[in-house]
Amino acid sequence: MADLGRAALVVSLGLAFYALAAGGYAAYTGRRRLATSARNALFACFGSTLVAAAVLAVALARKDFSFVYVATHTNRTLPTVYALSAFWGGQEGSLLLWLLVLTGYGALAVALNRRLLRDLVAWVVPVFGGIATFFAFVLVAVASPFDTQTAPVDGAGLTPSLQNPYMVAHPPMLYLGYVGLSVPFAFAAGALLSGRTDERWIVATRRWTLAAWMFLGFGQLLGAHWAYVEVGWGGYYAWDPVENAALMPWLAATAFLHSVMIQERKGMLKVWNMVLVALAFELSLFGTFLTRSGVVNSIHSFSKSPIGGWFLSFVVISSLFSLVVILWRLPLLKARTRLESALSREAAFLYNNLLLVALSLTVLWGVLFPIVTQLVKGETRTMGRPYYDFFLRSFGLPLLLLMGIGPLIAWRKTSARSLVRTLTWPLAAALVAGVALVAAGAGSSTPGLIAYTFSAFVLATIVVELVRGTRATGSLTTLIARNRRRYGGYVVHAAVVLLAIGIAGSSAYQTTREQRLVPGQSTEVAGYRLTYDRTDPIRNDPNRTGRYAVLNVSGRWNGTLRTGQVTYTGFQETDEDVGIKTDWLRAQDLYVIANFDRGSQAVFFKILVKPLVNLIWLAGIVFVLGSLIALWPDAREQRRLVTRLAPAHA
Amino acid sequence: MARSPRSPARLIVALAVAGVLAVFLVYTALAGTSTPQVAPSQLAAQKPGKLSVVGAVVGPLKGDSHSAGGLRFGLRDIGAKGPIVPVVYRGDSPPPLFAVGRHVVVNGRYANGQLLGNGILTKCPSKYTASTSKSY
Repeated sequence: MADLGRAALVVSLGLAFYALAAGGYAAYTGRRRLATSARNALFACFGSTLVAAAVLAVALARKDFSFVYVATHTNRTLPTVYALSAFWGGQEGSLLLWLLVLTGYGALAVALNRRLLRDLVAWVVPVFGGIATFFAFVLVAVASPFDTQTAPVDGAGLTPSLQNPYMVAHPPMLYLGYVGLSVPFAFAAGALLSGRTDERWIVATRRWTLAAWMFLGFGQLLGAHWAYVEVGWGGYYAWDPVENAALMPWLAATAFLHSVMIQERKGMLKVWNMVLVALAFELSLFGTFLTRSGVVNSIHSFSKSPIGGWFLSFVVISSLFSLVVILWRLPLLKARTRLESALSREAAFLYNNLLLVALSLTVLWGVLFPIVTQLVKGETRTMGRPYYDFFLRSFGLPLLLLMGIGPLIAWRKTSARSLVRTLTWPLAAALVAGVALVAAGAGSSTPGLIAYTFSAFVLATIVVELVRGTRATGSLTTLIARNRRRYGGYVVHAAVVLLAIGIAGSSAYQTTREQRLVPGQSTEVAGYRLTYDRTDPIRNDPNRTGRYAVLNVSGRWNGTLRTGQVTYTGFQETDEDVGIKTDWLRAQDLYVIANFDRGSQAVFFKILVKPLVNLIWLAGIVFVLGSLIALWPDAREQRRLVTRLAPAHA
Repeated sequence: MARSPRSPARLIVALAVAGVLAVFLVYTALAGTSTPQVAPSQLAAQKPGKLSVVGAVVGPLKGDSHSAGGLRFGLRDIGAKGPIVPVVYRGDSPPPLFAVGRHVVVNGRYANGQLLGNGILTKCPSKYTASTSKSY
């Protein structure tokens, strides 16, 4: 069976290279039949990759340990769902998933646009072919999931803390996001190569970009929630290079999703959009290079591998390619109109873009800093949490404010007086919220207070917009149905506000206490009284050993909380099983970690009360809802776009 | 001939870039402190000051991070048989994944041949990795 998988990958490599070479030649010479043939090769490449993926999936489901990959990532006792999730659990399987999604996305995007954008698609095919050739080559020559061995009695298994539903969904979500960014990149490159630099490529890829962005954003939140409930350190984001690798392209894609609106409506920012698309795509590749090469230290246990160098080479080549074609086509990327005023919606979008890109590049600088200092000074120096927190506040808070101003400010230009008049209600809401928060004692953290005040401002602008629109159309559902993109965007803005409130609440206003207790002793934290009752050892469980501390809680909540340390049979690591009690009324968590004292009955309890932390997870649901509203097909919008772009089609 | 009004786009971009640079300068002047990150074998050559050390935990684990004597263990280069640097860690309980053999980052100061730690990060198994405790 492994032979079938290997053969399918070799076929994929051949087809991808054909799509690159024949497709490029056909597009350059205008040979239609050859272009069709290259396009079909891309479709067939998806088919052969699907065969390879099916072979690996079957081997994982059957736990066929003659596959080195299967033996390394599963064992006999592993439930089937986790055995299948090992598909993206290891490096080789992840790369195969990448190629599968890439060729699937590419085939579908090309098939859907082949008639409308024939001249442009002719160039899109070789771009997809080029990317697919790289991944297929790595899978065939460097990191094959189909290496075989004499089957051992059992496999190595899966780290227990990763046997978690979040880890089943989190990696594929990220891959759907990372790979999805190759669609706008391929169409942008196709537009540049074909010289068709009007807005058609943006219209064709808007939903692809939005979907990729949604997957990437939601995938990150899933990972954050896994870290919070499973790893047991009380946090959800550590500004680690591996985590930042997903954040950077997401920020660049967020900037792109906003700036394309300016290009669609005003014909501006054409060069900027090309740069953003390339940046988002390159950052998604660069993240993979970072996590696989071992060039930076990470708290995440990724194995070093030889594919890092290949990825770096591909990042360099594709970046140079992007730079050259953008410079080559600069004369075609001139704006149709100009920015008339610094007080206009266009300008607000531009500020938003600059802040997002600045934040993304600042994160990139923090990630690269150890490498740069090693090269320049001969010593590795790292940027810690204060660096990232500082820039998150410096760029994130103005971004939050702009999210409220942007939707209400007029296109072209507005006066300061008119702007203040438009923003009267939101400003009043922000003022009232700020005063109320200070009165409630939230002034202990200035960034937290600013974040909450700005959040109130943004929420008020969304409410004002919805009320105004509903009055005009008669119903909220009609309003949203008539402009799904706009109101879907508002729902996403509401999700970002929830996220900001959750992050500010759980970090700026968190209460932490570490207390040594023996049975019968109590401690009080933020209105909760915790009494250490007893220790319950795990008994009669062949898979686990360990113990739980049982705490009786009174005060804001009455009940029992268990928290302990568990060691799984066959694994060295001890997992922390944290005790979490969620107060949904306050959206806050009582979070308790136990550390058993060696040689005594005492336990060191780390007790955290995290206000509003659950708004972060709620934000994930609202974020997906808003993205789906914006993604949903909108016949009115399509008609508007077709009318607007009619001269370009002619 | 009347001149057409100049677009403020370039001004906005220039101001934004200047703003970002200013924020950078403010940060590096007031708050920006990076920390050297070294392997245990490089500690002896380090100047006094804050640093973080990436290594593998070597047993035995003695003491308690909350006591005056602290939690004591050794640290060695990852994947190497280099020198073992003694560590005295005082502070909150170490992370739950902390154990002998685990790859960790210890933040602290190096003095008199030992590392005085005040923070520990353990490498998180956030990628499906094979267990090293089983053989087949």
